[in-house]
Amino acid sequence: MVEEKEITVNIKKYDENNGEQWRTYRVNANRYTQMTEVLRWIKYEQDPALSYRASCHMAVCGSCAMKINGEPRLACKTMAFNAINDKNEVNLEAMDYYKEVRDLIPDIDTFYDRMYKVEPRLYADQTVISGENEERMTPSEQKEVWKFEECIWCGLCVSACPSVKEDEKFLGPAAHAKGYRFIADGRDTKKAERIGILMDSAWRCTSCYMCYEVCPQDVQPVIAIKKTKAYVDEYPGTTEVITMARKHDDTISESIAESGKIKESKLYLKTFGYVAAMKDMMYMMKQGKIKYAMSKDTDVKNIDEIKKIMGDKK
Amino acid sequence: MEKKEYDAVILGGGLAGLMAANYVADAGFKVAVVSKVFPTRSHSAAAEGGIAAYINGNSDPNDDPEFMSYDEVKGGDYLVDQNAAELLSDKSGEIVRILDTWGAPFNRQPDGRIALRYFGGQTYPRTRFVADKTGMALLHTLFEHASGFSNIDFYSEYYVLDIVKDGNNVNGLVAMEMKNMDPIYLKSRALLIASGGLGMVYKHSTNSYISTGDGYGIALRSGVPLKDPEFVQFHPTCLYPSDILISEAARAEGAILKNNKNERFMAKYAPHKFDLAPRDIVSRSMTMEMMEGRGFEGGYLSLDLTHLGREYIMERLTLAYDAAKTFAGVDAAEEMIPVRPAQHYFMGGIDVDITGTNSDLNGLFAAGEAACVSVHGANRLGSNSLLETLVYGRETGKTMVDFLKKHKNVESSDGTEEIANNAYLYIKKETGEHFGTLLDELKETMWNNVGIFRDENKLGDAVKGLQNLRERAKNMYVTDKTTNYNTEVFNAFETRNMIDVSLAIATAALNRTETRGAHFRNDYPVRNDDNWMKHTLAYLKPDNTIEIKYKSVIVTKWKPEPRVY
Repeated sequence: MVEEKEITVNIKKYDENNGEQWRTYRVNANRYTQMTEVLRWIKYEQDPALSYRASCHMAVCGSCAMKINGEPRLACKTMAFNAINDKNEVNLEAMDYYKEVRDLIPDIDTFYDRMYKVEPRLYADQTVISGENEERMTPSEQKEVWKFEECIWCGLCVSACPSVKEDEKFLGPAAHAKGYRFIADGRDTKKAERIGILMDSAWRCTSCYMCYEVCPQDVQPVIAIKKTKAYVDEYPGTTEVITMARKHDDTISESIAESGKIKESKLYLKTFGYVAAMKDMMYMMKQGKIKYAMSKDTDVKNIDEIKKIMGDKK
Repeated sequence: MEKKEYDAVILGGGLAGLMAANYVADAGFKVAVVSKVFPTRSHSAAAEGGIAAYINGNSDPNDDPEFMSYDEVKGGDYLVDQNAAELLSDKSGEIVRILDTWGAPFNRQPDGRIALRYFGGQTYPRTRFVADKTGMALLHTLFEHASGFSNIDFYSEYYVLDIVKDGNNVNGLVAMEMKNMDPIYLKSRALLIASGGLGMVYKHSTNSYISTGDGYGIALRSGVPLKDPEFVQFHPTCLYPSDILISEAARAEGAILKNNKNERFMAKYAPHKFDLAPRDIVSRSMTMEMMEGRGFEGGYLSLDLTHLGREYIMERLTLAYDAAKTFAGVDAAEEMIPVRPAQHYFMGGIDVDITGTNSDLNGLFAAGEAACVSVHGANRLGSNSLLETLVYGRETGKTMVDFLKKHKNVESSDGTEEIANNAYLYIKKETGEHFGTLLDELKETMWNNVGIFRDENKLGDAVKGLQNLRERAKNMYVTDKTTNYNTEVFNAFETRNMIDVSLAIATAALNRTETRGAHFRNDYPVRNDDNWMKHTLAYLKPDNTIEIKYKSVIVTKWKPEPRVY
């Protein structure tokens, strides 16, 4: 038979009356045990009041998103033996960012609101809807659409995204993956509107790759954001963020072209302007973060090849 | 109690419910979609392999919708209503085309047309797919389409308690908002039950944790019968031991089942179709192999993909590969996958005709796995469940539009308080039976006595056991008395529904003294068309018994013949 091991599960419980409290359970698990099963056993045998969401147990519905040992993950896709530390312990908490409702259940309505903002549905051509015309799609186009359509709306990327917390105008990773999926879809007729909805927000992403790290479906929302930014020339006019970010990009190119280095001081000054840069530097020094206020130059690797490519583009 | 008024209330946000919602809303009616989960969490998402469709000009040149209907009739062991099978096949191409215009990202052929592959029981390849997450892709497509209608309100994470009736007419339903446990009366003159299946009544099932037969329980308690509840499908290839489905697509793409002697044993049981015989036959063959000592310790057999090559597996069978890797630690490109049969689908359901209409209660409709249109008969073929949800979801939506045009709302709202009060009893009680104990007994009974191989003794014991459970369930209580997202209370509600539908399954299985499709009786091992080519109708009675009536099978073209694969 399969070898079993006793594991300790610490769960942060929450309800309106009692607030937050950690509770500890012990269960026997084996190498095949999913964390959703651990939760089910606890509920059936030890604590029927324990509340969590779980549905498909095969990582296609996105219900069981939570923090496992501090990391945003799906419980069903996490095997107990991979989750435990060297003391055979695992900690479970509700996802960050969302409002607490009960135990491991957060209120993720704000996640859904982000998704609805990108008008997440295909608007096909009238002649295709009526059946007069047939839409074809190459296998490679289908691959591109499906890559970003694989999102299961679990909410993990938004809970892990630092920009979402700082910048209320940033739509968040999942909504961008969804939005881009329709830009990439030749059957859609609303490309211009979509670029209008997504472009300013896309330039608000800091490319920290947290969404890339946490996505249980490997959707890579940050890549969708980068691909959306490539449509910037189709965006009518500009916004403050886009102007600033493009200045930033241009300065990087300029700096590399001139010196083969990324000169951070120059980058900062050109992007944000002298007044803002001075203000930030004073603030950093006051906070005792003097080393962040000091700029440094970074050598660019494979500079010859990069210059060649940049040259080709011009 | 809060009250909201709609033209139509739809219970369930999976494919069938959303498809109907799209059509009812498109006609301008006000619709509420109520579900205990957010729509994209529905069990439709778990469907992997694909959707069968005959597309004119994009099918095998020798194929024809009539062959497709024949496959369904034979696959369902002649308990299929043949007009229903014909409608399913005839509309299949149109359904795929509609989904294409709504944005479904079907896999493509090099020339840009929708790709296709073989599935079990098909004479020609007909299955259309999105990698092997077809259900998930279509569910998102449908939900996204529905979310564009301003006249559809989604009540997500609302648990439905019971149907409200006005005489013999539907008058909406009472639900409970899970977040704060407040009851709400959703009044409507049309009600669609599209709440999916019941896998959780079995100890081993591929189904989502949420598949607890809620719609069946609610219907039975309203005096509405379930049709053919004795027919439960067991899928052959479920990952050992988590019972995660390894899609039939694996075998369709060339995977082979092997026993512990490394033999391709299906050659013995289905000499023509081998591993791609219908699911009931493969599941029984596997169980026989294991009973005769040719399984592996722990109770499983092997699914061999290794000869397909890593690249092919990664492109066509990503989910199967990932599931084996993640949940069993097996690299399917190099090792065989451990599999066993587990409960997968319920062929029975709320009795409706091909328009989705139930004839026991005015204004009641059903679609998808919750319904029994009698399109699957005694055994469903792969790729036909997605197709059924969409074809009959759409047909039912159109029927509801016609119904709504003819009928006006009634004013009364009797019985709503009583439904809510009954629900609160579980919270008010301090002692009694706990849902966990009842559920353990229920799952054991159903798996051991009402499973793949059945006989009179086992079924008789099951019926008695379930009647006892139903009596004890009246005394259920919960330990958690809080009023925010109290999942213990919802588990108790689910348990009540699971017991009610299980009693119908076991009683109907005991009653049917023949073997047909997925219903295999050791004591009656042959199909008996003279006595049993008829549908069961199972009614729940207040004294914990099931009353059985019958309904004839509709035959249009195909006379019963031996079912050989």
